[in-house]
Amino acid sequence: MTRSCGGSCRYAGALVSILAVVGCSRPSAMTASSRVDIPAGRGADPTDVGAQDMRARVLRGRALVLDHACSACHSGVLDPAGQGFLAGMRTTEEEFTIDGFKTRPRNLTPDNETGIGRFSERQIFNAMRFGLRPGETADVEITSTTPGQGNFPARPKYLAPPMPWIAWRHMSDQDLWDIAAYLKHAVKPVKNKVADSDGPPDFWASYYATRIGPRPALQYPTANEVGGTAPNEQVLRGRALVIEHACGDCHNGRDNPAAGDWLVGALTPTDTFQLGPFTIRPRNLTPDDETGLGRFSERQIFNALRFGLSPRETPDAEVTATVPGKGNHPAQPRYLAPSMPWVAWRHMTDQQLRDIAAYLKRGLKPVKNKVPESDRPPDFWVSGFTVDKIGPYPASPFPTANEKVP
Amino acid sequence: MPSSLGLIRWSTRLIGRSESTGAPLTARVAALALLVALGTATAGAQSNRPSTTVSQPTGAASGLATLRSPPVLENVSGDPRTVEVRLTAAPTRLSLLPGTTTDVYAYNGRVPGPTLELREGDHVIVHFRNELPVPTTIHWHGLHIPAASDGSPFHPVGPGEQHDYVFTILRGSAGTYWYHPHPHHQTGYQVAKGLYGAIVISAADDPLSASLPEKLLILSDNRVLADGSIDLPDESSLQGGVDAENGREGDLLFVNGQSNATLTIRSGEVQRWRVINASAARVFRLAVTGHTFVHVGSDGGLFERPVEVSEIVLANGERAELLVRGTGPPGSRSMLQTLPYDRYIPQTRPRDWKQARDLMVVQYTPDAPVPLAAVPNVLRRVPALDTLAASATRVIALSQGLINGKMMDMSRVDVSARLGATEIWQVENLVGMDHPFHLHGFQFQVIDRNGVPEPVRRWKDTVNVPKHETVRFIVRYDDYPGKWMFHCHILAHEDHGMMGVLEIR
Repeated sequence: MTRSCGGSCRYAGALVSILAVVGCSRPSAMTASSRVDIPAGRGADPTDVGAQDMRARVLRGRALVLDHACSACHSGVLDPAGQGFLAGMRTTEEEFTIDGFKTRPRNLTPDNETGIGRFSERQIFNAMRFGLRPGETADVEITSTTPGQGNFPARPKYLAPPMPWIAWRHMSDQDLWDIAAYLKHAVKPVKNKVADSDGPPDFWASYYATRIGPRPALQYPTANEVGGTAPNEQVLRGRALVIEHACGDCHNGRDNPAAGDWLVGALTPTDTFQLGPFTIRPRNLTPDDETGLGRFSERQIFNALRFGLSPRETPDAEVTATVPGKGNHPAQPRYLAPSMPWVAWRHMTDQQLRDIAAYLKRGLKPVKNKVPESDRPPDFWVSGFTVDKIGPYPASPFPTANEKVP
Repeated sequence: MPSSLGLIRWSTRLIGRSESTGAPLTARVAALALLVALGTATAGAQSNRPSTTVSQPTGAASGLATLRSPPVLENVSGDPRTVEVRLTAAPTRLSLLPGTTTDVYAYNGRVPGPTLELREGDHVIVHFRNELPVPTTIHWHGLHIPAASDGSPFHPVGPGEQHDYVFTILRGSAGTYWYHPHPHHQTGYQVAKGLYGAIVISAADDPLSASLPEKLLILSDNRVLADGSIDLPDESSLQGGVDAENGREGDLLFVNGQSNATLTIRSGEVQRWRVINASAARVFRLAVTGHTFVHVGSDGGLFERPVEVSEIVLANGERAELLVRGTGPPGSRSMLQTLPYDRYIPQTRPRDWKQARDLMVVQYTPDAPVPLAAVPNVLRRVPALDTLAASATRVIALSQGLINGKMMDMSRVDVSARLGATEIWQVENLVGMDHPFHLHGFQFQVIDRNGVPEPVRRWKDTVNVPKHETVRFIVRYDDYPGKWMFHCHILAHEDHGMMGVLEIR
């Protein structure tokens, strides 16, 4: 393995991945190919309810919120029917410590006083696309990422890490507008005052300075990807999903498919997570037969993303049930270690998960990087992934008691 | 609730921690680089660069000088109902602190400027001369006067130019006000350089005994470099950035331009204090050790009834009239302090914000006590503005440097209303920093804060809107049409563009 890891990426990445841990992903209600970018500029106002069917929009937004695991940090409640869903942290145990600063997941319900009720959908859009704090950024359309130009603030004030906006920004305009619509119009307001995050006086500008890569990502194929023939549509869709779900935050390369360490897995002891006594090591996702995913089928990768089943320890069979012992779900399941956010990823559509598997297997060049096994408890995390802890699949139907039809 | 997430939440938290403590190599290198970049930034933000700034005289040095009031502007008019004064703004060199001299801007050569003393009904003519190298204005903060005389950014006075400010003080407006420059984008700079002064308007029927000694307390702060120059860092520097965020706070605290001066009081004496917060950003939370205040007046003059309080929070731009009762024994000493007040966002909160700071020594004379003077139960009538008469509610959303998501545009009118209309303003602070909100030209009455009715009816022109809170006030646009400013009175925010235009037609 000759590639070098761009250290700082891992540093930032891990944070994001954490979030990702519990979740980032893509709308299950829509396929990747149905995503449409709203034409930039004036004219079509995506927040105009008359412009599109609001109910369809909030359903798409909900799917995106679920499979990006927003609620994992912003309440710790994965099930939209769970109490406090999206209402922000409740105890100091849910704080993050970044460079000595405490950062706190905010209340994402539209409560005027304590949530995001006072912010416009455009401000929420700008938060996800540009990482700009809604309360401290003008409610205007931003057309540049150069400070001082195109309404991009001269002194940008960024969301505190580990909010994974660097990955989220790769979603389409429509996706981000739909998430904003869901949060603003289809979630019931909950009063929960979360203290402001601490942070450096430059509002993390220096923190992100070296971490924000190009958007859109460099065109397929980069040096890490299989070129030659005309790119396969499915591979391209899978690639987009991989980028915007922050796979590279843990598995290396962050959001940049051209990075030298793109998806090669943990390279150094720093690239690992510590869960209690267990050390978790992000694996090599490239299709190297010996050290990567090469020896697993796309179906096994699908089963990992949908059911959390470890490809190495689960038969290559179609699984049709979430309950152990039924429908090919192993009676004694071997789950992926919990930093892997499959509990959110599983809410993507079948097609989307297959697209991801296709990209990993057929779109990436194999790289040799042997990552040691992760540690784990004797039950292979089974006790951590019960329905009461991770919510049902499919997710509780809309609207739950926390939601409303706009 | 967290239990529902169990393992996941647990893992998230742990990862979060491992993130910060950092594992080996790459992350640690990255972390170190960051700490170098940010850590120093933080340190800088949280001290006031003690190595380069002059520090406040404390301890033995305190209380040496007697508190002085600025001189009163000389009235050159022969007409008993007219006050005619001359005011010049010019660069000069003064000693702000013992042992150093500082290049300042000053009104009539003084910091603070001389006090404009007026009576209700006075016709006022201020012959102003701008000898500064830059354009300026004089804004008569809180006065209900014609828009053309308001000294707003619409009426700059260029270098070398003269301008007469002419207005009449209407009945009912007795109170404590102040004046300061208001040129667009430059207010903070010019105030930091020394341009501010007091206005005191008295009423013929003042209910408080004329025998109560009056003391004027103009509160301000500043930062001075070791060479005596005023510390005005470039905005691209870290301190400049912190100043832009917090507003520019200084570590040197002044009352009437003096540091830790002594005010004397006789045991049993009741003094009437007129307090003005003329600082650019600092909120003073005032208390006198061992004493309470009888709070009798606010921005627009006296209340209907006095209120006894143990402390008063005075945001920048606000004023208070207080009765201080000399309840201490002869020869004793108390301290006027400003107590900790957290108006900040965590990112730029000064490291020493939790420290109480001494402002002024209150020294009892050795004289035998006199009987404590009685304070009247009723001061004057403050008629309530009728919320049923309100024809509109204006929602004003404050965020950092922005009002309703917009920056100030001189060519835009943000709120337009009819002369004589009564309206409610609902001022919502969206962010985690306090923003003192100032409306030019018209005194208003706060109705409620976060829906809780205001207990005391009072005239205000500046109201602090604490972080994430909502203040509603009612105002009637009497007498004067024209364009009026409304803005955050943290001067750095105002200069940045956290300001709007109200047009009365």
